[in-house]
Amino acid sequence: MMDHLTSLENRSIFIIREAYFKFKNIALLWSIGKDSTTLLWLCKKAFFGTVPFPVIHIDTGYKFPEIYKFRDEYARKWGLDLIVASNLEKIGQGAGPEKSAKFECCNLLKTAPLKEIIAARGIDSLLVGIRRDEHGIRAKERYFSPRDDTFRWNYRDQPAELWDQYKSMEEENHFRIHPLLHMTEKDIWAYIQREDIPVCELYFSRSGKRYRSIGCAPCCGPEDSQASSVGEIIEELEGSRTSERAGRSQDKEDVYTMQKLRALGYM
Amino acid sequence: MKKKCLVAGLDGVPYTLLKKYIEKGILPNLASILNNGFALSQMDASLPDVSSTSWASFITGANPGEHGIYGFMDLKPGSYQIYFPDYSSIKAPALWEILGKTGDDKKSSLSQAYNGKLHKPRRSVVLNVPQTNPAVPMNGVLAAGFVALDLKKAVYPDSAFQYLSSMEYSIDVDSDLAKDQKEIFLKELLGSFDKRKRAFRHFFQNEDWDLFIAAITETDRLHHFFYDAALDESHPFHEIFVDFYRDLDRFLGELYKAFLEKAGKDGLFMAISDHGFTKIKSEVYVNAFLQKEGFLRLRREGRFFERIDEGTRAFALDPCRIHINMEGKFPKGSVAAAKRDSVMEEITGALFALRDESGQKVMSSVFRGDEIYNGGEKDRGPDLLFLPNDGFDLKGILKEEKIFGKRHFTGMHTRHDAHCVLPDSVPLNGKKPRIEDMAKVILDYFVSA
Repeated sequence: MMDHLTSLENRSIFIIREAYFKFKNIALLWSIGKDSTTLLWLCKKAFFGTVPFPVIHIDTGYKFPEIYKFRDEYARKWGLDLIVASNLEKIGQGAGPEKSAKFECCNLLKTAPLKEIIAARGIDSLLVGIRRDEHGIRAKERYFSPRDDTFRWNYRDQPAELWDQYKSMEEENHFRIHPLLHMTEKDIWAYIQREDIPVCELYFSRSGKRYRSIGCAPCCGPEDSQASSVGEIIEELEGSRTSERAGRSQDKEDVYTMQKLRALGYM
Repeated sequence: MKKKCLVAGLDGVPYTLLKKYIEKGILPNLASILNNGFALSQMDASLPDVSSTSWASFITGANPGEHGIYGFMDLKPGSYQIYFPDYSSIKAPALWEILGKTGDDKKSSLSQAYNGKLHKPRRSVVLNVPQTNPAVPMNGVLAAGFVALDLKKAVYPDSAFQYLSSMEYSIDVDSDLAKDQKEIFLKELLGSFDKRKRAFRHFFQNEDWDLFIAAITETDRLHHFFYDAALDESHPFHEIFVDFYRDLDRFLGELYKAFLEKAGKDGLFMAISDHGFTKIKSEVYVNAFLQKEGFLRLRREGRFFERIDEGTRAFALDPCRIHINMEGKFPKGSVAAAKRDSVMEEITGALFALRDESGQKVMSSVFRGDEIYNGGEKDRGPDLLFLPNDGFDLKGILKEEKIFGKRHFTGMHTRHDAHCVLPDSVPLNGKKPRIEDMAKVILDYFVSA
């Protein structure tokens, strides 16, 4: 019988090849995080060492320095056709998480440049490294997921997932393809370990803390951890019950809980 | 017909009140259910009788020594720092995890007893059960109850969140209103109950389920602030209180009828509460008493239990979980292992001697943690647990300096007066049922042919 990781890998590679065959103008969205780096690795494997389509990095200007270093090093080593998309104008005007709400900031610095690059390059499909276990909202995601002009995902009206039978493509802006959908956080780390995939150093413990998910520096917090190697991260995840994105707003929740308990005479 | 079980969870509804209201003709639907093959029994809540512990005991069929929930608030191991346990703190699998074949990294004596006996995975809808936040993926639908801040995190899957947010469902009413805006509080309470009923109906009809657990919290909230109105006909809020129960009874009748249509006579219908309620005579601030008797020393600085100073021998967490300040267990532990029993005896003697100004004894019984708790979480539990006589609401807060007091709360929890409504066919063998026994009743139902 095929081992678990190989069967996961096979499913992902099948989807990547299928997508490359179906769409004229495909690209990969690379956040430099562990998931999209794993996806990039799988694309390399799917096409025998060379990624045959562009790799897009949305640069908000607020990423950790370690992320830029990693991006530039591996874009060169792996011979990637790297497109850095960025809302230079807005960053120049001082847009950022200090100035506006998080949602607005993401919209301005992530969604807007992505829309521009999709239009400019005529991109019809994007390979994205999301996983179903990441967040409640991902539970309904499909491997092939249509987005409209406003990038909205209408989960109530998704086409049936039959490999060859998409509904009319005319109303869609682009398709998102999720070859890692069936993998969990633990699967990803186990696969990284097996394949010896390089990942950004922020994931490993420094002075008792490490990042479990990485993105823009102002919106990410490290967690207490002693895990300084992939093996130790896997071990740590096995004992962990918190979600990947948990712990960020714990203080706020505690204050709220305290208020609720006090209102009922506890505390 | 496919096997189906429905549990109506009536938070804080006492057995004795149901009895009295049935006699007065206030609850005709419940009375008719009881005339059709069901029995209403008095039930013991968990120890302690707080909602988080009692509901955790119901959903896991385990005692706190095994599931790990001793209250809404607890101390981080080896420290005086407080934290608020949530669903991830529950160490035993819930009914829907055992039946749904999910949560397989969790085990309990109950889940192991049914290992191999439950064949096909069953789907559950679990609505508003306290202590189930944040929602984790499970086989079915779950909308967590108290305490949850963010509806999105409280609900699984996302389609259920979309529905609940579209109908402006609220997890809990704002109980702060009850302090000085009683009419507004009651209006909101009724509004929140209406939304709750709509949500229950929606999932009842539109989801495919084998187990349906629907918990109603509004009863507990009403009781905390208006329990003095329950039986006092001259109370300005008596009519409102009784009307609420009439409405609750109509809803129970509706649920039962809908359940009969869906599940037939072979379905398992039951109602339970997580604790009872009684009127408050006085609140009792146990830590103030421990301070006065020289067991507890507090500094002015620090947050909550981090105020504990050198020389402290014991302290109380809500409602009266006494922890002995043991050497090696707590940072400022001062009691050596050999002295533990004598300190426990000393505290028991002192607390049993405590009387209010009318001379009434405050405490009714005491349990040793190592006698009532068993399982992997036993060591985190209290050394002693006291239960009061009805009317004395024990509090583990630190900021009160006097021992007795009264605030705007008029109702308090009781352990001995929870209720359960079960089919006559479920044998109780002459024993008073306990809330942690109910999970077994449900699992047995799904096992038997």
